[in-house]
Amino acid sequence: MTELEKKIKAKIPGEDTGIEVRHSLCAICSPSHHCGVDCYVKDGKIIKVEGTPEHPYNHGHLCTKGSALRNYVYREDRIKTPLRRVGERGEGKFEPISWDEAYQIIAEKLNAVKEQYSPHAVAFLSGYCKWYRPIFHRFAHVFGSVNFGTDDCTCSASMVIANKVTAGTGAGPDMAHANTFLGWNFDGYYSGHLSVLGVQKLKERGGKVIIIDIRQTPASKNLADIFLQINPGTDGALALGMAKLIIDNGWADMDYVEKYTYGFEQYKALADQYPLDKVAQITGLDPEDIYEATKLYATNGPACTNFSASALVHHINGFNAHRAIFCLTALTGNFDRAGGNVPNPATYLHKPAGFKMREHEFRSDRYPGGQERIGAERFPLWNAQFDEIQGMDLLRQLEEDKPYPVRAIFALGMNAKMYPETDKLLRAMKDKLDFFVDTDVFMTLTAKYADIVLPACTSVERSELKAYQGGYLVYTKPVIEPLYESKSDVDILCELARVMKLDDEYLQKGYEASLDWMMEGCGLTVADLKKSDLPVKVPAAKWPVEPGKCLRDGFKTPTGKFEFYSTAIAAIDPKYGLDPLPSYYDSLADQNDEETRKNYPFYLCTGARLAHAIHSRTHETPWLRSLRPNPTCEVNPQDAARLGLKEGGDVELYSPYGSIRVKVRFTHKIKPGVILMLHGYTEANVNVLIGRDHLDPYSGYPGFKGMRCNIRNVQEG
Amino acid sequence: MKHIFVFDPDKCSACSSCVMGCMDQNDIDLAAGDVCYRKTFDNEIELADGSVYCAYLSTACMHCNDAPCIDACPVGCLSKDPETGFTVYDNTNCIGCKSCAMACPFGAPRYRKSDGKMVKCDGCNERVKNGLQPACVRACTFGALTCVTEEEYRQSGSNKACNALIDQLNLRKKG
Repeated sequence: MTELEKKIKAKIPGEDTGIEVRHSLCAICSPSHHCGVDCYVKDGKIIKVEGTPEHPYNHGHLCTKGSALRNYVYREDRIKTPLRRVGERGEGKFEPISWDEAYQIIAEKLNAVKEQYSPHAVAFLSGYCKWYRPIFHRFAHVFGSVNFGTDDCTCSASMVIANKVTAGTGAGPDMAHANTFLGWNFDGYYSGHLSVLGVQKLKERGGKVIIIDIRQTPASKNLADIFLQINPGTDGALALGMAKLIIDNGWADMDYVEKYTYGFEQYKALADQYPLDKVAQITGLDPEDIYEATKLYATNGPACTNFSASALVHHINGFNAHRAIFCLTALTGNFDRAGGNVPNPATYLHKPAGFKMREHEFRSDRYPGGQERIGAERFPLWNAQFDEIQGMDLLRQLEEDKPYPVRAIFALGMNAKMYPETDKLLRAMKDKLDFFVDTDVFMTLTAKYADIVLPACTSVERSELKAYQGGYLVYTKPVIEPLYESKSDVDILCELARVMKLDDEYLQKGYEASLDWMMEGCGLTVADLKKSDLPVKVPAAKWPVEPGKCLRDGFKTPTGKFEFYSTAIAAIDPKYGLDPLPSYYDSLADQNDEETRKNYPFYLCTGARLAHAIHSRTHETPWLRSLRPNPTCEVNPQDAARLGLKEGGDVELYSPYGSIRVKVRFTHKIKPGVILMLHGYTEANVNVLIGRDHLDPYSGYPGFKGMRCNIRNVQEG
Repeated sequence: MKHIFVFDPDKCSACSSCVMGCMDQNDIDLAAGDVCYRKTFDNEIELADGSVYCAYLSTACMHCNDAPCIDACPVGCLSKDPETGFTVYDNTNCIGCKSCAMACPFGAPRYRKSDGKMVKCDGCNERVKNGLQPACVRACTFGALTCVTEEEYRQSGSNKACNALIDQLNLRKKG
C-alpha cells in the first residue's frame, strides 16, 4: 500500500486524498440539541462523520446516535421516489410516480375533502421533526384548517404548559452558578449528552448532586452524592413531602414567597397532607434519604433543578407532578435567580439564543378559526394554552365523527406508533380517511397506510435555519445532494403551495423568504448567514441571559406572581375536576380495581431512554440496532426468579389492550414489580398496550411511563 | 511519540459512541457478519455484601508493550509501529489461523468472515500519525476514553496520584 493509499483508507482529509470536510448538523434527536457535524465527503458521498470542534454548541462532541449519522443517512429503507399506493392500505404496495403527478393528486384530493366537508376535515400532522414546523403550521392555516398537530401532543408541551400556568415561563438550570444540582430524572448519558459536562464541572468545584430516578443509571453511579430510587409515578408525592419538610424546618425563602408568589397558604395546606412517613411509604424511599436530599437542596443553595420533557409527564398524574417539583424552585427562592432556575425563552424552534424571532407570529397570523381544534372539548386546559390539536383525541373523532368528521390527513413523518392503541388508530385511518399523504425519509409502518408517499431528505442533504445557545444562527448548506429523488420538507410544502395556488405571499416565495421575515430585526438575513458554514453571532442577541427579569418586571401570569395556586387552571370549568394546586393522585388511578390489580400486577414503564435509541428513529439503523438486536424488556431478577423467566428468553408483555412478544433481560437497576420496555419497534410496539383513555386530564398526555401490565413465558418456536 | 489509550471507568456509561466511531472509521460491514473492533459492556456485578456494582466499560486492543499476538502469528502479520507504539498489522499474508486471537488475553483480533482474514484495532495508527485522534476517542463525549502520549500519561499519572492523596486526606477546600 502506498502512503497515499494508506491515507485514503484512513479517511484523512486533504487535497491529495480528495476528502473534504463539510459542516452540517445532526437532526436525529430533539431540536433542543442538533449538534454540528463534520461530514467527510469523497466523490459526493459521506464516508465519515464527527462532531465539529469549532461549533459553538457541541464543541466537537457527538452522542451515540450522532456518531452513527452516516449509517442513518444511507439506510436501505430510504424512500426513493414519490409513490402511489396500489395495494390495500397498510400492505406497503406502491408504484413510483413523478413529483408533478403527486402534487396534482394531493391538490385535487385535499381540495375535494375541503369542498365536501370543510377545511377542518383535513388534519395536518407532524411526527418528531420540528425544523419545518413554522412553514407547515402556516400551510395548514392558509389552507383553512385549524387542525395542525404534532408530537407535542405527547412530548414536552405538557411541561411547557405546566410551567406557563405556574410562572408564565419555563426556566432552565443555571449549572454554572449552582452549588447543588437536583437532577430529577436526569440522565444526560442517555439523552442530552452535553449536559453531563456541566454536572461534572459543578462536582469538580465542590458542588453537590442529587439524582432522583426509578432506575439506577450512569448518572446515579458517576454523578450522584445522593440517589433516590423512587417508586415510579410517585414523584408528585415526593415533591409535596419535600415542600412540607422545607416549610416545617424553616428552609423556605419566606421573603421570596411573600414578595413573588401567589397561593402559598393553600399550597402549604396541600403540603401538610404529606408528612415524611406517608411520603416514604408512597415513594418507597428511606425517610432519612428524603430528609437529607431535601436539606441539601434547600440549604446548600443556590440550587438548580433539571426538568424532563417526558419522563414525568408521561404519567397520568405527570402534569401535577411536574408542577409540584417546579413549585420547589420558588419555595426555596431559586426561581429566576443566579444558580437556580433562570427563564430563557426560545428564540426559534425550542432553542434559546438571546433574541426574538417572529416564529409564533408566522405560524398563527393566518389562523383561520371557525371551528374547535381536535381535542378541544376533552382537554380544555391544553386547548387554552397550546395552539395545536390534542392528537390523543384523534382516534375517537375519526371513529365517531364528533364534533365533526376528519376525512384527510396530510402528514410529514407521522408516526402512528406514538399513539396508544396504535392498531386501532391505523384501523380507523384505513376505514375512515378519504385521503392520506405521508412524507418521510424512511418507509415506515405509518407511511404504508398512505395513498401518496413523498420522499424527504435528511439534515445533511438540505439547508436549514438553526438557532443556538450563545446567540448564534446558522443556515446550513447541503453536504451531499439529496439522495434519489428526495427533497427538503420545506421545498415540498412551498412547491405544493404553488401548485394549490394557496393565497400566501411567503409560502409562494419559499423557505428563505419566510425565514427573512421571521428573523427581521436580528441584524442578519439568510444571505448574510450563507456566507458562513458555521453558526455566526447575531448582533441583536443578548447572552448570557441575566436572571431577575420576572422578579423585577413581574411574572407573565394573571396575578403577576409565581402561582402555587394556578389561576389559569381555576378558570377552567370545574366539571373537568382540574385542581389549581399541584395535588397528587395515583398514576394508575384508573386501573386500581381489584381484578385489574390481580391480573396486571406489574408497573410498565415504556421509553426510559437508552443511549442508542430515540423513539422509533434508530431501531432500523443497523449500527445502532446492533447494540440491542432484539426488542427486549427488562425485569428485576427477583421477579424473574419468581416467574421462572429465562434470561434472553421469549416473553409476552400484555395489558387489557394488547400484547407484544419480546426478549427478556434481567437487571438490578430497577425495583421488583417494574418492567421497562423501549418504545418504537414496529414488530413489538409497546404502545399497543397503553389504553387510549389512559390519559392525564390536564394535558391529555398518555401514561406511557405508568401502565399496568403482566408478563409470561412464551414457548420457543 | 508513543501513544497510550487511557480509560476512566468513572466517566463511562457504555453509551457506545466509541463503537459507532470505530464502525464509521473502519467501515464495519455488519450485514456481512463483521464485528466491530471495539466493544462496550454494561454489566452488573453482584458483590459479596449483596450489593450490585454497575460496570460500564469500553474495550478494544490494549496495544500491549509485549503483545503476545505478534509472536503467535506464524506469518508475521503483526508488529509494533515504532512511531506510535500501536500493535499494527498487514494481513496480506494472513492465513486465517486465529492464533493471534487465541494468544490475546483480551480476544481483540477478530476473524473477518467475508475474506477469511484477521482484522483488529490498530489504534487508528494512520490518523494518529496525521495528527488526529483515534476514531473511538474522538467519538467519546464524556472523556472516558482518551489517547495520550507517553509523556502526557506520565504527567497525568502523577497528578492523578496527587489528587487521590489529597482526597484521601480530606484536604480539598469545601464549597
